[in-house]
Amino acid sequence: MATRYGDYGQYEVRRGRVPAVLRAPFEGRSWREFGYVLLGLPMGILLFTYAVTMVSLGAGLLVTFLGVPVLAAGLAGCRGLGSLERARARGLLGLEVADPEPLRMRKSGLLPWIGAVLGSGTSWRALLYAVIQFPWSVFSFVVALNFWAYGWALLTYPLWFWVFPVYLGQGGLQLYGDEQHSVYLDNPFEITVTALVGLLFTLATPWIVRALTMVDRLMVHGLLGPTKLSARVVELESDRGVVVDTAAADLRRIERDLHDGAQARLVALAMDLGLAKEKLTEDPEAAARMVDEAHGEVKTALQELRDLARGIHPAVLTDRGLDAALSSVASRCTVPVRVEVDLPRRPAAAIEGIAYFTVSELLQNVSKHSGARSATVDVWRSDDRLLLQVEDDGAGGADAGRGSGLAGLAERLDAVDGVLVVDSPEGGPTRITAELPWRG
Amino acid sequence: MLDHVVRVMSGGGGPKIVEDRVRVVIAEDSVLLREGLTRLLTDRGHDVVAGVGDGEALIKTITELDAQGELPDVVVADVRMPPTHTDEGVRAAVTLRKAHPGLGVLVLSQYVEERYATELLAGSSRGVGYLLKDRVAEVREFVDAVVRVASGGTALDPEVVQQLLGRSRKQDVLAGLTPREREVLGLMAEGRTNSAIARQLVVSDGAVEKHVSNIFLKLGLSQSDGDHRRVLAVLTYLNS
Repeated sequence: MATRYGDYGQYEVRRGRVPAVLRAPFEGRSWREFGYVLLGLPMGILLFTYAVTMVSLGAGLLVTFLGVPVLAAGLAGCRGLGSLERARARGLLGLEVADPEPLRMRKSGLLPWIGAVLGSGTSWRALLYAVIQFPWSVFSFVVALNFWAYGWALLTYPLWFWVFPVYLGQGGLQLYGDEQHSVYLDNPFEITVTALVGLLFTLATPWIVRALTMVDRLMVHGLLGPTKLSARVVELESDRGVVVDTAAADLRRIERDLHDGAQARLVALAMDLGLAKEKLTEDPEAAARMVDEAHGEVKTALQELRDLARGIHPAVLTDRGLDAALSSVASRCTVPVRVEVDLPRRPAAAIEGIAYFTVSELLQNVSKHSGARSATVDVWRSDDRLLLQVEDDGAGGADAGRGSGLAGLAERLDAVDGVLVVDSPEGGPTRITAELPWRG
Repeated sequence: MLDHVVRVMSGGGGPKIVEDRVRVVIAEDSVLLREGLTRLLTDRGHDVVAGVGDGEALIKTITELDAQGELPDVVVADVRMPPTHTDEGVRAAVTLRKAHPGLGVLVLSQYVEERYATELLAGSSRGVGYLLKDRVAEVREFVDAVVRVASGGTALDPEVVQQLLGRSRKQDVLAGLTPREREVLGLMAEGRTNSAIARQLVVSDGAVEKHVSNIFLKLGLSQSDGDHRRVLAVLTYLNS
């Protein structure tokens, strides 16, 4: 199900030029991570001081009523600082953590707010983060800064070892020393080894910092993000919204089609027949002409009703399944379409319906926009997925961006845990694959 | 928007209504129906001055005609028109009725909504009509309704009247009416004259008058002269 965008061979070549180990100390990413760790300490102090102060103040005041609102305010503050931390992680670590579920308040007002803050797991997780982030930030700050500073200092030792004999009265950096004897790094071999050790430190620093930020990532993700359950709830809520919206939009469309099409025709027909009835005795010829027109109206109205009914749910789909229904859609396409349906048995009616409407919408696009000479439709099953593929040899450049018909289709498929993959380079050909869960 | 305006027949000016010949402007977005209505009305000897496809164009056309001193007698407007396809027709009709009190407005709708009728009738029931689109099938009655509204009368769809009767909070009083009286009340609310009611029910004018006085007596309304004021009294009663 890969989407092929251009070729990424070039990228591979550029990556290969300098080994990652040597590049790491100079990469923007490493610097951002280093900055994250350095910023972590002041943030940790702020978070820890705030959290401990507010919680102990709130707890101390719990005997009076004042403790509860203070505690709630403290927790709310932790939530606020939590969003600041998410922003820091997003900006410097590129860590995308969704906002946790907002406070659910049944009524507005101070008391319900306090209840909501105290009752929400998010608040307490933010407090836990504020408390444990501090010791960790001290540790990672010290480790990162030491590795970085020692690394660069030792790496550049050959450039500044002369400071020792000139200004400090010793041969070089003191490696070891007590009252009897000392070891100074002062001969060329030792200087070289020192610089090599520095190089090792400098090269290792980005990886150590990265390892340190892994823990931060886990903490931010686990304590400041939405829980898995609530994330799924949010996803399902949005899916349900799409389903409801789609259903409402479909109903509106059907009503509009009826209103503008068949209903208007029938009114016109009634009008014609009414006039004809009036004319019957005085002007039979005119009456005959009107009856003739009315006859034409009835036929058009029937055609429109038939099209509309097929648009709601095609009878052949229910009776004969996808193969027959898609063949009928294909025959109405403006270009020749080869349809191949390879299914061991029929999927559930709901899935069949979605598959049918997906293919008919895609074929409509082929008719309207592609400028293709021919198209193919393939439907097959792979494990627990139903796959649909529509290919045409048209101009390509189909856009699945926001607001396009394809985006709407993708959204509707997403609502049933389906996927739409668009592969349509400028100049064609276009291949659109939809994947639906198989339900038998 | 003016390109939607189709001049069907230039207005002859002159006195407003010459022997029931009324000057009509049609607002209907379906070309099929607009042409059908035009044919229906011209066939009966009325002038269709202009046909437009949406509410804005309607107001513009009427304003222009008014500036030329050729205000039509009646506007026949569809409720649902572009751009929103909701209640443009009703809103345009309400605006027009405020701006031109002498102009009759007949609104046609695929569905009948008592709420729209109430909005249209707000203030006065002079020269206003609200009919289901299907009524055009009864050519004679439809054209009668157009002429009635053009001359300041009222034409309410029987379904609107049904809704008003059904929704009215005065059910106990309404229950006190005989079936025939309810029938007469309905026809009255539709905006028909005594003689039209008599024709419809195949009774004498005198019998209708008797029923009408009975109804007014039972509802506690004072008899008012003039058909449209009578309609207003009945509608206000049902709506209160």
